[in-house]
Amino acid sequence: MTAPQPTTVAAAPLAAAAVATHCPYCALQCAQSLAVTPGDRLPVAVAGREFPTNRGGLCQKGWTSAEVLRASDRITTPLLRTADGGFRSASWDEALDLVAGRISALQAESGNDAVAVFGGGGLTNEKAYALGKFARLALRTRLIDYNGRFCMSSAAAASNRSLGMDRGLAFPLSDLAGADAVLILGSNMGATMPPFVQHLAGVRERGGLVVVDPRATVTAKLTLDGAGIHLAPVPGSDMVVLLALLHIVLAEGLQDAAYLDARVEGLDAVRRSVAQWWPERAEAVTGIPADSLRAVARTLADASPARGGRGAYILTGRGVEQMAQGTDCVSAAINLALALGLIGRVGSGYGPVTGQGNGQGGREHGQKADQLPGYRMITDPAARAHVAGVWGVDPDSIPGAGVPAVQLLASLGTAGGPRALLVHGSNVVVSAPNAIAVEERLRALDLLVVCDLVPSETAMLADVILPVTQWAEEDGTMTNLEGRVIRRRTAVAAPGEARSELWILRELAARLGCDALFSDDPETMFDEMARASAGGKADYSGISYARLDAGEELFWPCPASSAGEPAHPGTPRPFTSTFPTPDGRARMVPVTHRGPADEVRPGATTYLVTGRVLQHYQSGAQTRRVAELAQAQPEAFVEMHPLLAERLGLGQGDVAVLTSARGEAAAPVRLTTDIRVDTVFMPFHWAGVGSANRLTNDATDPVSSMPEFKVTAVEIRAAVRDLDLKGALR
Amino acid sequence: MRIVVIGHGMVGSRFAQDAVTRIPDAHLTVLGREPHAPYNRVLLSSVVAGKAAADGIALDAPAHDRIDVRQGVAAVEIDRERRIVTASDGTLHRYDRLVLATGSAARIPQIQHVADPDGLVRGVAVLKDLADAQGILAALPKARRAVVLGAGVLGLEVATGLAARGLAVTLVHHADRLMERQLGSAASQIAEGSLARLGISVVTTTSVTRVIERRGRVSAVELGTGAEVLTDLLVMCAGTIPETALARRAGLPCERGVLVGEDLASPADGAVFAIGDCAQPPEGGTGLVAQGWDQAARLVEAWAGDGAGTAAGEAPAPTTTVVRVKATGLEVVTMGLSGKFDHGERELRAVRISDPAIGRFVEVVVSHGLLVGATVVGDKATATDLQALYTRMLPVPTDPAHLIVRPIPGAGPARRSVAEMDDDDTVCQCNGVTKGRICDAIAAGCATPQDVSRATRASTGCGDCKPQVKELLEAHATSEDRTPALAGAGEAR
Repeated sequence: MTAPQPTTVAAAPLAAAAVATHCPYCALQCAQSLAVTPGDRLPVAVAGREFPTNRGGLCQKGWTSAEVLRASDRITTPLLRTADGGFRSASWDEALDLVAGRISALQAESGNDAVAVFGGGGLTNEKAYALGKFARLALRTRLIDYNGRFCMSSAAAASNRSLGMDRGLAFPLSDLAGADAVLILGSNMGATMPPFVQHLAGVRERGGLVVVDPRATVTAKLTLDGAGIHLAPVPGSDMVVLLALLHIVLAEGLQDAAYLDARVEGLDAVRRSVAQWWPERAEAVTGIPADSLRAVARTLADASPARGGRGAYILTGRGVEQMAQGTDCVSAAINLALALGLIGRVGSGYGPVTGQGNGQGGREHGQKADQLPGYRMITDPAARAHVAGVWGVDPDSIPGAGVPAVQLLASLGTAGGPRALLVHGSNVVVSAPNAIAVEERLRALDLLVVCDLVPSETAMLADVILPVTQWAEEDGTMTNLEGRVIRRRTAVAAPGEARSELWILRELAARLGCDALFSDDPETMFDEMARASAGGKADYSGISYARLDAGEELFWPCPASSAGEPAHPGTPRPFTSTFPTPDGRARMVPVTHRGPADEVRPGATTYLVTGRVLQHYQSGAQTRRVAELAQAQPEAFVEMHPLLAERLGLGQGDVAVLTSARGEAAAPVRLTTDIRVDTVFMPFHWAGVGSANRLTNDATDPVSSMPEFKVTAVEIRAAVRDLDLKGALR
Repeated sequence: MRIVVIGHGMVGSRFAQDAVTRIPDAHLTVLGREPHAPYNRVLLSSVVAGKAAADGIALDAPAHDRIDVRQGVAAVEIDRERRIVTASDGTLHRYDRLVLATGSAARIPQIQHVADPDGLVRGVAVLKDLADAQGILAALPKARRAVVLGAGVLGLEVATGLAARGLAVTLVHHADRLMERQLGSAASQIAEGSLARLGISVVTTTSVTRVIERRGRVSAVELGTGAEVLTDLLVMCAGTIPETALARRAGLPCERGVLVGEDLASPADGAVFAIGDCAQPPEGGTGLVAQGWDQAARLVEAWAGDGAGTAAGEAPAPTTTVVRVKATGLEVVTMGLSGKFDHGERELRAVRISDPAIGRFVEVVVSHGLLVGATVVGDKATATDLQALYTRMLPVPTDPAHLIVRPIPGAGPARRSVAEMDDDDTVCQCNGVTKGRICDAIAAGCATPQDVSRATRASTGCGDCKPQVKELLEAHATSEDRTPALAGAGEAR
């Protein structure tokens, strides 16, 4: 298992005893080579590995990722809550018997839906698949959802309704290199996934990079020195930017008429809906000069193939998707891309930039409340029949659709709501919106079981903590932001008694009397998942560990071929000939700008936007435990413009207290002119009083159920005293 | 609920779409005088200027089985007793609620020979609907000169649009300054300078008094000063008059517009409502589409909310009267208090910058920490920022002067060359590698960028610092050339 794994994309042969795998963190899934170093402080030495996505590069998180393997507070045995509120070690048998016993008792008392499951977008495909299957067959509960709801749900919903499929980028990342224009909205990949930036070198040279962000982020600054344009809209108004760009394209006749005729439905309704967003009106709403909007529209159009350009891309990130109108906002981006004839053309396209490590694969195989493996709908009788066949169960025994994450979390421990929750690969106390309320809900449960590597803030609330393996300690597959299926490989054994979730689910399923297949062998689970996905939108049935280990570059859909036929080569660029919609045509969807649910108003006069810093990942449960990263970014902060700070009487390093309709948070001020005067920024990687999600809004998108993380109206004041903030805050 | 809407313009069509979406039992009949689908009237000047196509400004009005749209059919009579509207095609339309969205008409000033019994003299036009715009477009190929009467927003847009098409334009205005309701003298003078640079002659404090015809077409106009101006085209942009004729005939109280209360209902008839340019609400009509759209939304909200239809939702949103001229080469934006406003009892701070040489004028008016008005000529970026502050009523910086003087782009820490950096400055942001660490690695023998990357991780993220690393290597090599002893040390590794 730990033998060198040559791949066709590896430029240099790996040293003996080096394992080819990928980074534990974000969706770029940078290729790494792990040299096993017995006897050293850390069990492996990490190096970047040549691969089409990262080209050998790693960021500081990736370089230091081995530190998490030996985090000083790594959990190495199951832990049970004691009467005095602490934890004690327990054997696996004791812990699993306890969990299974409590689950059975609660379900006997309150029905199957008394137990709910919360998954994560960082789990391998195999784990995500097994977790969905476990919820439906072993727990027989409807109630499973996952933190990908906070990540990709809006982009997924919009892609599905317009393009018939949600395949992330729908093109290999390296395709970006040849474009004349790339429009990036609400993504800061320069800080969150730095090796991505290499693919923007070409477009920057040609001056065609357009970044839309209320802050002059690292990514926005890539437009400096003639490399492109940065537009800084009022938070929550990004959609109007897109509507106005399409307005200009249509008003000036810059659209790709032949492509629209041949491949797209719905132009007329969209044309009429953007008619009301002439640039001067958009200017008043977005804070972006009408002429800048015109310039960007022309840049994109000139880059489009129909007008002789080398190609253009539109990329969206959480900044525009984590809104109560996030799905519509992505539709506005897709409408623009369709009007310019970009989607399904080699060298052009639209794509959401997936965030979590397995954000793509995690949303395809059954962790979603309404979904079965292969991106199938759980409400579709044919889908249920197919999956039931693979699982060897009666289709009627598969429960129906559950509820999405925010609703699920809000119902925990309420009358009629779930009484037990199993959490896998998520730190909801820090990462969910309206975090104070989420913590209250978790405390109201009869049973909270958390699988984690380290005592995360969510694990610390658990009744039972089960220690699990991580990245370099396990095999599996991940699906990166391109829809490319890649292999994660074991380099070292996990410390103590940490076990793979596959093993835990197998053990629990057996104790719950479920005889469906749950194997702790990842390849066995992958093969079953591949069969379950056959014929679905995300068809993995032609993919195998053998093919991946032989170095094949496989993007889904990759259906199994019949005997004697050559293996399917995978689909790096879906949509080039047709769209997987009933009539093969893409659909433009007219959308309406509604604005943020939490708009600035007297008493809450400043916009809060949230995001990441380079050194930390998600809730920080891993990265805050890496000394080098924690040293570089030790604590939460509030970024603000000096003009705002001056009005508020705040200086560099002073503690600001932010109040929203949901709660208060406090953090030191960092002054910068890289942000709009009406906006402050907080990173969301920290717990406690500096937790940005104490403030954020749990209002959700009506289509995707994405919460509105990205726009919060806050009032800001100077802390009366820097000390004892905790006691002072609500 | 049977709703009849008279008027299928920007406000009437928006109201009908919103109503049918939000009110499940609403059945609507919409009578539209013009024979077109609704279109964006605000962009008519852009059509004249050639910046938008006449067929590219249609508005969203999807068919709906509970909306019956009659295009090209005007309302001719309202029988309020029986609640029936008679249409120009003879059809009768019963209503439970009637919404007047008849808009406004172009005001035609008193000008001798401006019209004959068939209508306006050929070559004389207003710009109020699509037919007007198409008429002007049709006249353009043979026109070399144009006179635009009225220097309000529309007049300025038409004048600049025609100038951009190559016509010699004379702009005639009755007041002593442009946009006299929005601009003070100083701002107007600066805007006039911008017009002069566009080749537009401006004549103020006078009007067109007579149209001079030749072979049935306008050939010149006479001004109040007695001067004659040769022209092929006269476009009158002298304001608008709310369309109230139908309402007046039906006995509804009207002043300038159809009088309505805060609930947008006529005080004389609770079943009749007026929205958009034809209405005169307590706060007054602004003639801006934003107000009409807000009224449409409020009316729908009220009817969808409780079905009682008596209260039009919340009070009107504070009138955010942003006035903006859409013209190439002339940037004018005003909001709230602008021009010659009355300070009254308020504590106002008005701060201005006047910079005629480059055509820039900015004035901000601040009261109790909020921006309550602004005038901006020739400064797009500032205008845009001020609109965002003003429309959202956000607090302004302590010193209002900061609203006017924008930081120089790139101000703040200057981008320094790597040679100027200190040892503890970060060169590789992705991996937090300082210049000092890179120099140490080079001193310790790293001779290529790859060596430095392996030793320090610099350039292994986004790769943007590769040039700086190379520069440090080159600097070291140069110093080695000058210092043979060090070069020797390098070889010895």
